[in-house]
Amino acid sequence: MSTAGHVRHVLSENPVTLVASAMFVMFVALALFGPWIAPYDPLASNAAVALKPPSAAHWFGTDSLGRDIFSRVIVATRLDLGIAFSAVLLSFVIGMPLGLAAGFFGGWWERIVARGADTIMAFPLFVLAMGIVAALGNTVGNIILATAVINLPFYIRVARAEANVRRSAGWVEAARLSGNSEARILALHLFPNALPPAMVQVSLNMGWAILNAAGLSFIGMGVRPPEPEWGILVAEGAQFIVSGEWWVSFFPGMALMLAVFTFNLLGDALRDIFDPRRRT
Amino acid sequence: MTQPPLLEVKDFGLEFRTRGGTVHALQGINLALHKGEIVGLVGESGSGKSVLSYAMLGISDRAARVTDGSATFGGMDLLQADERTLADLRGREISMIFQSPRTALNPIRQVGLQIEDVLRRHAAARGPDLRTSLRERAVQALREVAIADPERRSRAYPFELSGGMCQRVMIALALACRPSLLIADEPTTGLDVTTQAAVLDLITGLARERQMATLFITHDLGLAAEYCDRIIVMHAGHAVESAPTKALFTRPRHPYTARLISSTPDENSRIDSLAPVPGNLPDLRRNDLPACRFAERCERAQDRCRSERPPLDAGAGHATACWHPLHAAEPAHG
Amino acid sequence: MVEPILRVEKLGKRFALAGKRGVLLHAVDDVYLDIAPGESVGLVGESGCGKSTLVRVLARLLDATEGRIVFDGQDLAAIPAARFARLPQRADIQMVFQDPTDSLNPRYTARETIAEPLALLSGLRGAAATARVDEVAAQVGLAPELLSRFAHQLSGGQKARVGIARALAVKPRLLILDEPTAALDVSVQAVVLQLLDQLRRDLGLSYLFVSHDLNVVRLLTDRVAVMYLGRIVEQGPSEALFRAPQHPYTRALVSAIPGQGPRIRLTGEISSPIDPPPHVCRFASRCPNMQDRCQREGPLLTDAGSARRVACHFPVTAAAAA
Repeated sequence: MSTAGHVRHVLSENPVTLVASAMFVMFVALALFGPWIAPYDPLASNAAVALKPPSAAHWFGTDSLGRDIFSRVIVATRLDLGIAFSAVLLSFVIGMPLGLAAGFFGGWWERIVARGADTIMAFPLFVLAMGIVAALGNTVGNIILATAVINLPFYIRVARAEANVRRSAGWVEAARLSGNSEARILALHLFPNALPPAMVQVSLNMGWAILNAAGLSFIGMGVRPPEPEWGILVAEGAQFIVSGEWWVSFFPGMALMLAVFTFNLLGDALRDIFDPRRRT
Repeated sequence: MTQPPLLEVKDFGLEFRTRGGTVHALQGINLALHKGEIVGLVGESGSGKSVLSYAMLGISDRAARVTDGSATFGGMDLLQADERTLADLRGREISMIFQSPRTALNPIRQVGLQIEDVLRRHAAARGPDLRTSLRERAVQALREVAIADPERRSRAYPFELSGGMCQRVMIALALACRPSLLIADEPTTGLDVTTQAAVLDLITGLARERQMATLFITHDLGLAAEYCDRIIVMHAGHAVESAPTKALFTRPRHPYTARLISSTPDENSRIDSLAPVPGNLPDLRRNDLPACRFAERCERAQDRCRSERPPLDAGAGHATACWHPLHAAEPAHG
Repeated sequence: MVEPILRVEKLGKRFALAGKRGVLLHAVDDVYLDIAPGESVGLVGESGCGKSTLVRVLARLLDATEGRIVFDGQDLAAIPAARFARLPQRADIQMVFQDPTDSLNPRYTARETIAEPLALLSGLRGAAATARVDEVAAQVGLAPELLSRFAHQLSGGQKARVGIARALAVKPRLLILDEPTAALDVSVQAVVLQLLDQLRRDLGLSYLFVSHDLNVVRLLTDRVAVMYLGRIVEQGPSEALFRAPQHPYTRALVSAIPGQGPRIRLTGEISSPIDPPPHVCRFASRCPNMQDRCQREGPLLTDAGSARRVACHFPVTAAAAA
């Protein structure tokens, strides 16, 4: 079965997968084209229409400065997804090779890497992220770095486990007989086999990373206002919930929830796409 | 045999419902096992031999559905019995020895305790001091399978024992409650040749001594020839031949049996004298399987073979399920 | 006398035990073995005898602790395993593995599996590689449409053929077969054995055929060596050796084959391969013929006539067996 056929098969097999994929596509589209889709300028304030409930003119209502919440939520997608994606990519690119090498070569190398990962995991991860951002400064770059660091152990673990199991497999020995150097075996043989479980991790991590970035912003340690970002938007609306203007927090919160939901569901689908054993 | 069979399977059919289609795993199986008999169930992978034995014990995969036939043990209907009755039966009346001893034993429990578990489950020991009596019975069970220093070994964990030892422990486990029927599913796969011989000598020795009916499942014809009174050959879910051992090897009647025998090397074989079975096992998910499932691989096949399934009569001395067997049936002996 | 293609001299492999200093596990000791061009030599023994280790040292996947592996006049043991993987000589010695499922990378198609050594060792890529893959696939009887499949989409026999094709693709001179049919059904095994026999004759290969199944070894080999606890205890022409084994261990092994009549039972504990005393026969603890001398002097592999060599002080010859 061809790759395209296989992807189609995976998507159609399970309706949940299909829904998750559709939502994923929607979010990516919003991230890419947000600013052009948004009906209003997300930064334009208009005191006259402050704190208006959802209506035909403002689907998600307006906030305390009269800005259209719908536009702000849409535009925020780019930042949230962008931060999460960069952080996960960074974690993956550093964590996978470290973990693979640790599991494959064993010995001192494995001990150092494993202890390093354990050290990171020993901290409550959100607190660690807060600490890193507090130490390095409140910039988007640092949020990405902090999120990447706290996600590192997941990739190290997955890769290390895979490498450990597979390094005594017959096909690793056969690869040596075929003329592969150890480095080639790691990169071209072990790494592709470690991808399917890593893919699930990637997806779950994306959801987690979004939540993490939003969380940091919510407590004021992340992205600075007036930049629209879901966490900030929720924070901005928090004070109005009690007074009855529920929509200011609600819609950004929903967006956050749906995004994390989508990525969580996507995990299994991604793994199935990447694992040739699922092909019939 | 004048006494009624201990295990009787009649026209048994089973299928698996899977996402990839329905697998017609077994069809029209007839089998009769008497007390004290050692019967070999021989077949290659995919022949259904393990599936059949699991179905007897009621431990088939959840996707399995019995399509026809009956299976009775000592007159009791195995297929209709509820889980509770079957659970009581397993270990006490019918026991099974599995293929990989190390994986079939609980890795985090001492072997002596595992035997005690079986004894306790079937309330095989009674008396005021239950713990001691259970422990003694477990050690005795280990002694009966020729494990040296059974007291000490009973406190060992499976990973501390060699493959052959683990298999002996499994035999002890299976035989602890003196079952009347033993199913041994490829008990020596993965064991060395000398250990294999010792384990099989043990199993068959105990079987003879206790007059236990034994179903010995294997893909190794040589082993079956050495240890079994009677052999049933299976192919693609059908039982194709059933005969006393000597008769099977001297005059095999089914073409598949003949090919199987000729592709098994023995001390007189030459590389060019091996005549393997042509073709491949048919895919049991097909709905257009020929009635005789060997038809597509058989040089003697004719139209009738594809449309009408040849029956196997388990009662006759040397029975075969073939419209054009290699030898004619012998006249029935009394 | 034809110059052997492979000459193994005093090969030893010892492993250090974790946590214990100076204590060594003797996996392979004092092995001498010759393989002539076009010859098929069998290696038999039970688990723990060291044949897997020996074979991996010979295939240069492991480094030897001592000894020489002379191939084409060059001592391969002197080249570290890691470096050997990238030398052109890597193509001369190839291996077929026991478990076809385990020896194929699940993410590679059959074609990619067979093509990989071509690219790395023979420098063949693109059209030339495709042609060679097709050629060797035809040689092993692998239908062309199977080449685009993954391992899990192939049957046991087909996977075995892929493994053989991969080994043959780079035109090796010596093929080491580590129980190549152990995981296969009897009828598939017969087909693969006939294929291996045919290939050897057609391509002029030498085989080192490792198996626990003595009947199979008897079929496919000219000579056979029997290993016990890291040492070769008997060696000689296959047919003669199986018909009239002289070493007590070989006799027990042959008697354990179903249908071979009365079984010689081995009782006693297996001696430990850890720091074994050099002046004691390693089989002494289980040998039915054990005598005083066996505990004082380790037997060496000595000539017993008719190209047979036995490492025993009291081999069972035809006269003695009567």
